[in-house]
This record gives sequence, structure tokens and C-alpha cells, in this order.
Amino acid sequence: MAAKPRVAIFDFTGCEGCELNQLNFENQLLDMLGHVDIVEWREAMDDRPGEYDIAFVEGSLSTPDCIKRINEIRRRAKVLVAVGACAVQGGINSMKNTRPIEEVREEVYGKDKYLFPTLPALPLSSVVKVDVNVRGCPMTQIEFLKVFTALVMGKQPVEPTSAVCVECKLKENECVYERGMICLGPVTRGGCDAQCPSVGQYCTGCRGLVPEPNLKAMEDILVTHGLSVNEAWKRLHLYNSHELEGLKS
Amino acid sequence: MKLNELIQPQEPRDLYLPTMATLRDIKPLNALETLYTVELPGGADLGHQPGQFVEVSLFGVGEAPFSISSSPTRKGTFELGIRKVGLLTEKLAALKPGDKLGIRGPFGHGIDVERFKGKDVLVVAGGIGLVPMRSLINFVLDRRDDFGRLIICYGSRSDEELLFTEEREAWKKDPGVDFHVTVDRGSPAWAGRTGVITTLIPGLELELGKTVCCVCGPPVMYRFVLLALKSRGLSDESIYMSLERRMKCGVGKCGHCQINHSYVCQDGPVYHYPDLKSLEEAL
Amino acid sequence: MDLKFLASDRVEALVSHLMHQKAVYAPQRMGRHSVALDKVTNPAAVVLDYSRTMQSVKKYFQPPRDELLKFDLTDQSFAAATVEPLDAVLLGIHSYDRAAIDRLDYNFSQGQPEKNYLKRREGVIWVGVSYEPDEFHFSGSVGIGPLETEGFDVFLSRVGGGYQVETVTEKGGEILAGFDLPQAEQGKPSPGHFHQHIFLPQARLNEVMAASYSSPVWEETAQKCVGCGSCNIVCPTCYCFNVEENVDIKVTGGTRERIWDGCMLREFTEVAGGEVFRGGLAERQRHRVLRKFKYLSDRTGHPWCVGCGRCTAYCTAGISIVSIVNRCVSDFEKHPTTAV
Repeated sequence: MAAKPRVAIFDFTGCEGCELNQLNFENQLLDMLGHVDIVEWREAMDDRPGEYDIAFVEGSLSTPDCIKRINEIRRRAKVLVAVGACAVQGGINSMKNTRPIEEVREEVYGKDKYLFPTLPALPLSSVVKVDVNVRGCPMTQIEFLKVFTALVMGKQPVEPTSAVCVECKLKENECVYERGMICLGPVTRGGCDAQCPSVGQYCTGCRGLVPEPNLKAMEDILVTHGLSVNEAWKRLHLYNSHELEGLKS
Repeated sequence: MKLNELIQPQEPRDLYLPTMATLRDIKPLNALETLYTVELPGGADLGHQPGQFVEVSLFGVGEAPFSISSSPTRKGTFELGIRKVGLLTEKLAALKPGDKLGIRGPFGHGIDVERFKGKDVLVVAGGIGLVPMRSLINFVLDRRDDFGRLIICYGSRSDEELLFTEEREAWKKDPGVDFHVTVDRGSPAWAGRTGVITTLIPGLELELGKTVCCVCGPPVMYRFVLLALKSRGLSDESIYMSLERRMKCGVGKCGHCQINHSYVCQDGPVYHYPDLKSLEEAL
Repeated sequence: MDLKFLASDRVEALVSHLMHQKAVYAPQRMGRHSVALDKVTNPAAVVLDYSRTMQSVKKYFQPPRDELLKFDLTDQSFAAATVEPLDAVLLGIHSYDRAAIDRLDYNFSQGQPEKNYLKRREGVIWVGVSYEPDEFHFSGSVGIGPLETEGFDVFLSRVGGGYQVETVTEKGGEILAGFDLPQAEQGKPSPGHFHQHIFLPQARLNEVMAASYSSPVWEETAQKCVGCGSCNIVCPTCYCFNVEENVDIKVTGGTRERIWDGCMLREFTEVAGGEVFRGGLAERQRHRVLRKFKYLSDRTGHPWCVGCGRCTAYCTAGISIVSIVNRCVSDFEKHPTTAV
């Protein structure tokens, strides 16, 4: 086997929860480290060399400096993996995109706002080419391991695209709608094993919208179940403002 | 009749286990396409018809259908022409002679060459449609006396994407082959004909009633080629079409390749055109 | 016919009797309102009076994840997955779900008979139970009544105070042997009253569905559909699957598995290179419904829909397969010549 792939891990605007999750692979971490050389990871070490075979990147891009850095990472990485909702679809940070950027800046930094340049929060893919997405808030360990082994084998991982409903039906979960709650599962990408609905919660849409979402039909579902469309749309914006703003225009 | 009375009792089989074959040769055909020569254990005969396909798999990577490009007349090994477009094909491209790969098949309904005997054979191939059609072409060439004229119309997006350079040269020179090639957009170096594949059809010398035609190409091509063939007076009965779908299991179970009620992996990929008319989703 | 009586308070004893002979799978409470089939460990947990389970018995013969082979990446060797007969009593099964298994038996035996499914099917004792149709059942319209005993070894029909027990086959008699039951004295069990009906007999539906190909009903249904695929995943006669590779973290080996797939999902017809052959939700809805009411029935004379009502009951968008079919029927009656 050739030299081990060189792996780097970076973070942008986000809570670093996905990275923490990567450190939590107690049972698999040693196996994983056997396959790769981790050359850059601020969360776990602090030395910084040149080029990477795989760059895992967490967080959304929200300042001009982020844009510079991601371009630099892209230039140095053979495979770029967006990890978690912020990196994949903008995530929670992109909620600010629904309001005028100056207004947001002022609200956060007050009179010092000019010291802190800011941009609408962007997914990595709106600035650089992303090769692989690991979705979710936070990303799940199971999925990260699948992507990791695929990349170690040198193959493109398969990204799940069907709705969360599929996984609920496989687990014979009672439908969240039958419990009188709003659930974003019908228009949200699965691959999470329907974690939230399986423990009595509703789907918050953290993995992003399914391809070609039928939002009009989703609205009808809410109306027929006597649930608030406004409330549901607010919740959908929690992780998906960037894409929803795009659909609007 | 009750459903269980419709079932003919047969011994259930392991349908999804591959035979481990050995890769004997890899030859690039152009920037995207590669020709793989594969040998079954002990040089066993694959026993295929032109137009059939096999499921190729690499452990840990996956399995996908590929049409067989070699003629059944050439024993010992068989050939697959594969374009780099997905997971599996990327990994296949990295294999070396001597490496193992899983083979299931041959599957599907190929070209019933018996019905082509004594006829002029017209092949219309667009893009990688030439890969399976090459099996038929070489079959006809190897059994030259069994068939009438061999007419080949081959179209490609560009001259860079043309396949089987050496063989094409041989077909061009062969007095028994009427070979025509065109590209949608030629590079400055291209001295041949430019235009879509249908532009080749009006000029062909065809003996109606004696000609059978087999068409294979990208989905968008079929309707136009069909119109061109019919305007030349070819009957529906003389036309065969090889269709691409997502053949996953190869044994009529997984449902992916269905066109209306028809499983492409069972009834196709080569269909007699009159049978396609009742399949609204086909063309 | 020899009919016995099983009082409600003796159901538990019957379950224990069966458990002494074979593993028993039966409906049990799951969640607040729902009932699911599961292996019985506590006889008291068995529920015989229920409307439907989200997943049918199909899950035991074609599991949602089904290992096909194990491979070793170090030497490129592989071994077929071990498939064992279920060899169990399936208790409390409704007639439509038994009928669905007849259909799957056909799918997995005709053409190339498949070991994975057919092997698991062996050794099953079927104990059916009648049900009271709810607002979604329409099995009556496809010729499968709630008291249909076809395919069962023992059948329990609900009567006042308990169940009338019919021993349908010799196997059924053997499994009941040693469990004393009194003669049934009650009158006939209720044949059940359906609230949903397809307006035309099955024999004529093929003709109607053939003419429905360009009906506006598909586009109208697509407007309401989110394409989540739930209808496929809960259907007892859907058997389409995809194949997936799982590699262990040491990257030394793994498994090839088949997983349930559905024709309502966008990737279902996608080929390498990106072409999607059934791109729109309208085309996918049409394929789903015609697969149940035309494609396979043309071949066999039997509808591939058993009227369980699951696709409708579990559709968040409230799309009703009965309404779709009835719409096709009424359109046909108005314009019988719109056949393509």
C-alpha cells in the first residue's frame, strides 16, 4: 500500500461540535489513525505543514477571511469534505442571511461593527468545489466512519438523498404528525436513521432539504394536520436559510 | 388460476454470488473509455449473445452492469468497454492485469443472431453504444458467410471520443463493410464528416426487406434514429433496439430497470422494436 | 368443518402452547397507538385485535437489510451469507398480509428462484386472525375478505367473547394438538364491513388502468406528493431493493447487503452518468400504482395490491390509492376510448 493519506481538519464558523464528535470515536479512533496521518488539527494538535490528501472542513464561511482560507485549503487538498450542517448547507449561521447584513452586524457588534467585517453565512460549496458532504447537526459518527473508510479506500462515498420518512417507516416509528407535532422529515434528507423521531422528537431538518423538495405539498401536509405553516417554515430556516433564500429568488 | 399454481417449482439458487474472474488486459480507448479483457476461472466460456451484459463487482466498492463488447466467437476471454463515470468505474480504472473482479451473468436478452442470418445487418451506434454493438459487428465478421452486407453508422460527440481506432480503420478498409462515421463537433484535426448520427442514414444503400437494423446509443438518440430509419422505408419488424437502464440485480428482482411492465434485465436490453411500442416509457 | 372456541382469556395460554413448539412472532404494542410484529417473549404482550402493523410479515423473509455475502479484502475471497429458515409460528396475521406473501412467493420463485427469500420462507406455520376493517382497508375490493383462510394453517375468527378456531391444514392440527379447546357454539363470525371500495371488479381494472396512462390524475397526485417513498416502504408487496457495500473500519473486509428501495425515490432509476429515467413525481406515482394494478396483474391475473391500506394510512400527504384508482375508473366510464 502506498503512503498513508495525509488528513487535515479545519473549522470555520460553527460550534465545533462535529469535530468534538470526531474525537469521541473511542473504539475506532486508533483504527482510523492507523490508516491516515493527521497533519493538521487545531482541536487536537498544533503543527501545520503543506499538502493534504483529505481535508475535513467544519463550519460555514462568514467573513472575508474565511473565503481566503477556504480557497487556500481547497488549493492544498485533493479531496475536500464538508462536515456538518454549517459546512454543507450554511446551517444555523445562515439564519442571518434572511435579514439585511448591516442590521445583523449592528445588532451583534453595536458601534464597533466596523471592526468586524461579515458576510452572509455560506456553505463551503458556494465558494469552492466540495467533493463529499457529511451532513447533520452534529454529523453522526456512523456516517463519518462510512465516509472515512470510503475515502481511505479511495472511493467516492454514497450520499443518502431520500427523506427521513423512509427510515421512520423502516423502524416502524409512529409518525410524528400522528402525535400532533410539526416534523420536517418529509422534506429533509435522511441517512441519520431517523434519530430524532425515534426518541419522541421531531425532525429539525438539520441534514438539509431533499433534492427537488416539493415545499408546496409540505405546506398542504401542515395545513391538513392543523399545524402552523409559519412555525414550520421558521423551523426549516434554522438549518436551511441559505438554500431557502436561494429558492425564493 | 391461483397464484401458487402459476409457480413452477425449481430449486432456489444463490443469485447474487459473483464468479471471481481475472483481469488480463487493460487498454485505454480514449480519455474516458477503457477496454478490459477478463478471463473466467479456467478460461471458461462466458457463453453470451451479442447485446448481453454482465454485472461486474469489486468488493467494498460495488456492482454495476456493463455490456459485453467482444463477440462470442472469440473464446478464452471476454471484453468490457467501460466509461469512467461512477464509483465502481473509478476503481476499475485503477486495476492492474492479474487483479480479481467479480462477474455475474451473462444476463438479459441479447441479439438473436439466428434471426439475422442471411440478412444485411445495419448497426446504428451512438457514443458508447458502439461497445455492445462491437460484439455484433465482430460476430458478423467472424461468420461472414452467414450474413449479407454489414453496414455500420457510428456517431460520436467529438472525434476525441471515438472508440476502437484500429478496428474502425480495419472496418473502413474491409470491402465487405460499409462503414460511416460522423461527429457532432469535430476538432480542428478532424477531417471526417460532421453532423449528428441521423444525417448518415439518408445516404445509405439499403436493400429493404433484406435489412435488419440494431440501434444502440444515448437515450435521446432513439426517437430520431427511428424516424430516419422509417423514412428510409425500414419496417418496424426489421428494427432492434438496445436500451440502457439501471440493471442492478440482473435477475428480474430488484425493480430498478423496469420499463412499464418489462424488466430490461430479462426482456432486454435488446428489444425487437414492435415489442417496444406497447412500452410507453421506453423511448 | 370442525370449529373450536378460544375464549379471550385463553389467548395467552394458546401463545404459550405455540411457544413451546416453535418461536412465535405476533403483533405487539409499540408506541402509543401502534402495533408491530415482533418475536414473542411474553405471551401476555400479544395483541390479536388490531387494525394493521406498519410493516408486514415481509420483513422476516426479505429483511430491510439483508446480507448477501461477506468479503475479505486481503485476499479478495468471499462467503455467501448464511440464510436460515424462519421456522416459526406467525400468529395473528391478517388475510391481506398472507395474500401479499403469495405474491412475493411468485416474484421470488418465477424466472430465477431466489434462495435468500425462499429459504427463509421455510418452516412457517401461519395462524391468521380476522379483523374489523377500518377507514383504510379495502381488501374486499381485491377479493380478500377478513375471514379468508387461504394460505393459513389455523385461522381465528373473532366472535363474541373470543375466537372461533378453524384448523385449516394438517400442519395446523399438529401445532394445536394437546391444546384443548371446546366446540364452537357461537354463530358465524362477522364477515366485516369495508368503508373503502374500488368501484370496479378486478377483472375489468386492467383495461381501465391501461387507459389511465395519460390521465391528469398522476400530475394532480404529484402536486400533493413530497416523494418521501413511505408508500413503497410500508407496502407488503413491494420488494424492490438496492445493493450496498459496507466496509469495516479496519478496511480488511465487509459485507454486501441488499436494502429496501422504492420506485417513488428519485435515485431509483438513476444510472451512472446522471440520467434519471423516471424523473417526475407524476411518472413515479403512475409506475407505483400501475405496478400494483396492471403490470403484474397482466401477467398473473391477480392484482399486486392486497387492500391493506398502508400506503394511504401512512402517507403524510394523505394520498389515497383507492381515490387514484377510482378516479381512473370514473374517467374511464366517461371517456372509455382515451386508451393510449
